[in-house]
Amino acid sequence: MFKLTFKQTTIGLLLFSLVLASISCAASALKNEEFFGKVEVPRDNVMRYISGDEPESLDPQLSSGQPEGRIFMALYEGLVEYDAKTMDPVPAIAERWDENNDSSEFVFHLRRNARWSNGDSISAKDFVYTFRRGLAPELLARSASLASYIRQAENYNQGAVFVKDPKTNQFLLEKDFGTQATTIPLSQAPLSAAAPEYKPSAAEPTPDKDTEFHQRMHSPERLALPGDEKSRKAILAKNPKLQEAVIGKEFVPVGPEDLGIEAVDDYTLRISLKQSTPFFVGVLANNFFRLVPQKIVERYGRDWTNPAHIVTNGPFKMKSWRPYNELAVERDPMYWDTANVRLDGIRFFPMSDQPTMMNLYRVGEVDAVSNHAIISAWIDEVRYRKDYMAAPEAAVIYIVMNTTKPPMNDVRVRHAFDLALDKDTAMKWRKIVKPLRGITPHGIFAGYPEPKVAEFDAAKARQLMTEAGYPVITNPDGTFSCPSFPIDQVEYTFPTAPSNKITAEFWQSQWKKHLGLTVPLRSMEFKTFVDARSKLDYKGFAFGAWGADYMDPFTFLSLFYTAEHDNNTGWWDKRYVDLLDEANRNPDRAKRFALLAQAEQLLVDAQPIISVETATVNWTKKPYVKGMYPNAGSLFPWKHIYFERDRSKWDYGTPSLAANPTDQSSDSTLGN
Amino acid sequence: MLRFIIRRLLITIPTILVVITLTWGLIKLAPGNFYTNERAIPRQLRQRIKEKYGYDKPWYVQYARTIWPIIRHQDFGISLKYQGQPVSTIIARSLPVSASVGLLAYLLALLVGITVGSIAALKQNSRWDYASMALAMLGISIPNFVLGPLLVLGFSLTLYWLPPARWDGFFSRNTILPVLTLSAIYMAYIARLTRAGMLEVLRSDYIRTARSKGLRERDVVIRHALRAGLMPVVSFTGPALAFLLTGTVVVEKIFALPGLGNYFIQASLNRDEPLIIGIVAFIAITLLLMNLLVDIAYAYLDPRIRY
Amino acid sequence: MNEDHQEIRKPDHSEGDLIHTPPEFAVAEGEIHILPEDDHVAGTSLWKDAWRRLLRNKLAVFGLVVVILTAIISLIGPPIIRNTTGFTYDYIPSDVTLIKSIPPFKSASGAFSWSHPMGTDNSGRDLLARVLLGGRISLMVGIISTIVSLIIGVSYGAVAGYLGGRIDNWMMRLVDVLYSLPYIILVIVLLAVFRSSTAVGQLVLLFIALGSVSWLTMARIVRGQVLSLKNQEFVLAARATGVSTSRIIFRHLVPNTLGPVIVYATLTIPQVMLTEAFLSFLGFGVQPPLASWGSLASEGIQNIGIFPWQLIFPGVTMALTLFSLNFLGDGLRDALDPQMRK
Repeated sequence: MFKLTFKQTTIGLLLFSLVLASISCAASALKNEEFFGKVEVPRDNVMRYISGDEPESLDPQLSSGQPEGRIFMALYEGLVEYDAKTMDPVPAIAERWDENNDSSEFVFHLRRNARWSNGDSISAKDFVYTFRRGLAPELLARSASLASYIRQAENYNQGAVFVKDPKTNQFLLEKDFGTQATTIPLSQAPLSAAAPEYKPSAAEPTPDKDTEFHQRMHSPERLALPGDEKSRKAILAKNPKLQEAVIGKEFVPVGPEDLGIEAVDDYTLRISLKQSTPFFVGVLANNFFRLVPQKIVERYGRDWTNPAHIVTNGPFKMKSWRPYNELAVERDPMYWDTANVRLDGIRFFPMSDQPTMMNLYRVGEVDAVSNHAIISAWIDEVRYRKDYMAAPEAAVIYIVMNTTKPPMNDVRVRHAFDLALDKDTAMKWRKIVKPLRGITPHGIFAGYPEPKVAEFDAAKARQLMTEAGYPVITNPDGTFSCPSFPIDQVEYTFPTAPSNKITAEFWQSQWKKHLGLTVPLRSMEFKTFVDARSKLDYKGFAFGAWGADYMDPFTFLSLFYTAEHDNNTGWWDKRYVDLLDEANRNPDRAKRFALLAQAEQLLVDAQPIISVETATVNWTKKPYVKGMYPNAGSLFPWKHIYFERDRSKWDYGTPSLAANPTDQSSDSTLGN
Repeated sequence: MLRFIIRRLLITIPTILVVITLTWGLIKLAPGNFYTNERAIPRQLRQRIKEKYGYDKPWYVQYARTIWPIIRHQDFGISLKYQGQPVSTIIARSLPVSASVGLLAYLLALLVGITVGSIAALKQNSRWDYASMALAMLGISIPNFVLGPLLVLGFSLTLYWLPPARWDGFFSRNTILPVLTLSAIYMAYIARLTRAGMLEVLRSDYIRTARSKGLRERDVVIRHALRAGLMPVVSFTGPALAFLLTGTVVVEKIFALPGLGNYFIQASLNRDEPLIIGIVAFIAITLLLMNLLVDIAYAYLDPRIRY
Repeated sequence: MNEDHQEIRKPDHSEGDLIHTPPEFAVAEGEIHILPEDDHVAGTSLWKDAWRRLLRNKLAVFGLVVVILTAIISLIGPPIIRNTTGFTYDYIPSDVTLIKSIPPFKSASGAFSWSHPMGTDNSGRDLLARVLLGGRISLMVGIISTIVSLIIGVSYGAVAGYLGGRIDNWMMRLVDVLYSLPYIILVIVLLAVFRSSTAVGQLVLLFIALGSVSWLTMARIVRGQVLSLKNQEFVLAARATGVSTSRIIFRHLVPNTLGPVIVYATLTIPQVMLTEAFLSFLGFGVQPPLASWGSLASEGIQNIGIFPWQLIFPGVTMALTLFSLNFLGDGLRDALDPQMRK
């Protein structure tokens, strides 16, 4: 077709390689810079932030992911907000709150100047509506379980029914059928003037107004049965007394009016819990409990979050939304604290590809990236720069074991596999993570005693394995083998991702080296994996991870509160549950922590999991972004963030997370 | 000609239905579901989700529920992952991004490719010919997902001239790199095809006649040679469109563009059934129509062809 | 009569621009003695002619050499490497401090070292070994998928062309319909939802998926060839002597279509390799620890701002090979086309 001489082709190729070589030189020019990429303060006051994956929905009660959560924190507000550094609850729409003596009932006093973005004022009724809507079974809200501490919340959400006698209009009570908890919380105990429920405080010398609903809350709990007939029949079959009692009665579905939430007056909200929950206020900062506008939701239904209709109540309001591209918000002048909001707007960029995120950051197109945006391979390049955020995270990684099937149902076998892993070496590779003992993350909860765990001990592991009936033999060349172990009954399953694979291969090589067992590896696509694991449909070992829903050890310990849901191991122990309940009933923080730690020690000794590591946050922000702290949950109250234009005041390095009372703008008087 | 067009249009409908059914079948056979995510969902909730979307019904019922609204109202349903957003809205919103990038890339490729190829044909065996054809060969051999990041490395990460990703509207700096990346391979192909086609035509009798009639070289080329010489380019457009589609997917992934390709990949990974089916059907229709247009253009260019 | 090529008929426009030499004009192996001068003329066959023409095309030779070299190196390279530096494509150093990406010709501490001429990837695996494996797999995928599409396409096209009439009509209409399907889209859906958990399983899925994409054009070409061949005398002769239909198709017609088929196959291989690379790039193709050039490129792109060698080496190798295959294909086309397009 055409003739190119050999010489010309060679020259062409050489030129090409030259171009490539110069490109590589350019890439290494980054080496000596103080920050990762270009640093130039934007001329306007609009922050550009990579929020994570594309938000599924703008309804704070429907979407439970972190990417959406960051956007919701700009648009919506609830009773309380996260503190920027510690993530403890600080007042938001609630100015202050009172707690009863065993943390089973809370009264919130709302500020009077809170408004929606369309000017309407906010009252306690809005909270009642929001909570009822969130728990409605038709909504299929995935985070509804967070509200399970509220009276009748679980029953309502799962469509349970009460049993009513149509003639007397009396409901069957729990206490008559032995389904009641052993200790009744104060919120259920009859109201009496003799033993005041609340500590007296200067601000509120007399307890709040009593109402008929309140009386009802302080009476014995009604019996609830599953709404679905098949499960109901199964339960009735087991309890003949109950079966007899329901004859002739009608089943009344648990309704929203049965929830333990009451608007005592326009600016007072009372919440009644089903048991002692001292950390409850911290739970309320979650997006699920942020207000949704009743009028708009009722008018537009599913479409209420459409930018044309949406009404919000946070420091920012919606400006525009181009899905998969940008969600822009701007300052809301109707917000009660708008005077203290420093940014004029935020542009959220949804993105999930890490290199792209970091490239955008490097070039200066965004001001901060979301947590875990940095690929582990790049960490060495990034962590020594002054814009890298290093802090522990309230998230843990562990290995779950299927304790329902042999050979993993033998605790000695489980101990053996744990002791045979050299986790320190694994941590060295991961570089920035911290150790994990038990299930609660290391170094997050001040004053929480860590459980005692056995350190890496390969010899002990082999001994335990032998004791369990699978002797480990030493081969002549120094390696080990364990032929009697049913290796076909175990494998390590994990969701497909390169770093997971490397970790999996490391565990495999460790077990092979110290126990002589080559555990097969199986990788699964993420959704399939979660599905299989929750059904306990895995052999032996599986990858596990959990992030805190609120800042309290209980959010991790509660994983094993029931045998189902996110337990994934099949292990359950009544003593563990009792310890947890007792802890929650205890108003003294130190004592409570001690009891929780006891429960955790029980967990460690029973070993349904192998603890691996506590995660650390892993993101970068430009030095001129202030007010944004690498807190343990990576959730940022946007109203405190601003651009600092004075170079000398920039953040050089990770800003300190030490609580600084002068930082907080609002006055907080807690009931305790 | 008209009958040809009508026949082709008629055959489009059953073809689309076949495509939809195939896709639907593939999705149904696969394990996993759109509602599995990090938090294990309580059994009752999962059951209710199943009921709500009809996954507990037998397969033929599910098929009917999918296909009937499509036939009747062209209603592809609502995305499962992006709550409350109808599939048609999603397509309508992401289409302009993909279409504008793709179209601009192809137009650029046509412009550059035809020009370079024609000159190469006219100046056959000259240095220009060799150089441009070697460059064209390079363009065909370097995959777009290698070229794209190389361009990003050069123009964005090193020089800080252009953004490395994101879409900021069609008339922004963000459009430049994606369009260049996408059009490179087509520039190369079109240049080669033009050259080959022109060479063949320039040797033919009627061109010699035109020349001996004393017409200016420019007229000879543009009015006579080009028309016939472009035939291979026109027939290339058909398959090129299919490749353009896949090229767009790659480019959208590299540059994080909110286009149809990106949505398609996400939907496939999320098992978002209505969205997958909607996009696949849309692409199939577009391809069929484009192929029809190409065939019509072919007939226009070459009077010998008769349908 | 010219020594090494003959005049030919111009083919139908719609059958592509490939030209064939009808068999009866080809000078067979052995000699035809007509004139005394012929005694000095060595007879040549079509293939020998083509081969000689190919060799004269320097670029095609370059392409051929590179392709052969690549094939040889990817075959014997890995064992050589394993025996000299000890690295295989999936060897992850057990010392976890070595699990990071090292630049070419450097050791982990930064000093000069011969052990990694192309550097390592993020898991500390030697990139040279992986590029060689990538070559093996990419070429294998390219060749096997092309063979799959060859087998399907040639059979389909030959049968359609020979049987003609209504059967041919319907068969080609099916091809038309399939042609207009967004094939790659369906392939993506297929690979996305059916991800095999083993690397080998994924490869097999790929072979099937890729093979089924390119057979359509092959079928068309072969059909065109068969259409013009089937009324030749040798076919009539075969029929007259009672040879069965399938033998006619597969023993007589198909071998005579080999010219264009070979050319098209050589040009399909790079196309398929590119498609596989693109699928691996999106994450649907070859899975780790196996590697193809495409999956290596996609891993390399992730780190382009920081570790550019991870993309440059597989990328250049792939470009070079595709480049050479294209040249070779072009050269073959010229060589098998006696009317030299100069």
